[in-house]
Amino acid sequence: MGTTGTTRQWVLALTLVIIPARGSTGSGAQTLTAAINPVGSITTPVSASLTAIGTTFQPFSGNLTVNYQARTAPAGGGSITMNVSSDFTPAGGPSAASGALTYTCSSATLGTPCSGTQTASTTVQTPVLTLPASACTGGGGPCSSQNPNSVNLQFTLTDNPVFATGTYSANVTFTISAT
Amino acid sequence: MKRYVTMIACSLVAFAGLLHAQTGTTTLSVTVGPEAALTVTTGTTSLATTSTTFGLPFTGSTALTYQIRTTKSTGSGTLTLKITTDFGGTGGPSVGTPPSAGDTLQYTCTVSAPGTACTGSQTASTSASTSVATFGAGASSTKAGNSASVAWSLTDDPVYSTGTYTATATFTISAA
Repeated sequence: MGTTGTTRQWVLALTLVIIPARGSTGSGAQTLTAAINPVGSITTPVSASLTAIGTTFQPFSGNLTVNYQARTAPAGGGSITMNVSSDFTPAGGPSAASGALTYTCSSATLGTPCSGTQTASTTVQTPVLTLPASACTGGGGPCSSQNPNSVNLQFTLTDNPVFATGTYSANVTFTISAT
Repeated sequence: MKRYVTMIACSLVAFAGLLHAQTGTTTLSVTVGPEAALTVTTGTTSLATTSTTFGLPFTGSTALTYQIRTTKSTGSGTLTLKITTDFGGTGGPSVGTPPSAGDTLQYTCTVSAPGTACTGSQTASTSASTSVATFGAGASSTKAGNSASVAWSLTDDPVYSTGTYTATATFTISAA
């Protein structure tokens, strides 16, 4: 009896093992593709003032911080450029078209700021920053630790006695590009 | 019972050939106000006379370069001088306390546009600023500056003791 009983138990045990093996098992493959493209975004202050410094007829000066986020491809790169999209108005005052507006770049948290003194132009883009390949904003590691990144521009505007007194405004447009 | 095993493969694809660009615009503003600056290009002006008989005064000329911008419509400007240090020493000429009545340090003015030179002969003073030039509204010089000069004339009085005497004339330009 004892032996018979033991045999029954084994049969039952096998049955339990077999059941899942007889179930229907399937598999499927799904490919998710995320296209991580080069991207650049830029944020600039609405306005900035240039003020007189030092003694009379010394240049006007002002600071501007440009914030940006960027991601470039391993074989890519990028840049920030600027141009004077609307020269100083009204007439009778300074003119960027005549080369009166210059700037320097510094303190970039990602990429290389422009070197030396640049003369702003109304007709061509002038350099602000160069982004290397595989650049990315934020997160640390291979990317910058800052988010957003920033670069500082110091503008200088010639003061000339021939400028009529008054307030003059110009628009400066910054462009970030990434590949 | 059905058990499905799902295999998920994730592919990260970077499209290096794509170009992304974005722009941002900032307005730069500057307020240009009235300003004036002056350079005395003749550091020391020597007054001398060619007369040996007291017939001619001691004369000399001081050259200036000015820059100015006055407010359009309502502005103005002035260029003045004052003897801030009188001739020193004893027995010589003096602007503030001339040894004889009629002893004066006088000058005439030459000023290029947009300035208007002083009229006639002016008498320099140790107590008050006297005019060299005036400027109207909306006046502006060149960036390099415009020229002006003062021609001095100091009475030669026999009572002056021989010697060398020095005074300081201070020029002031202002714009509004």
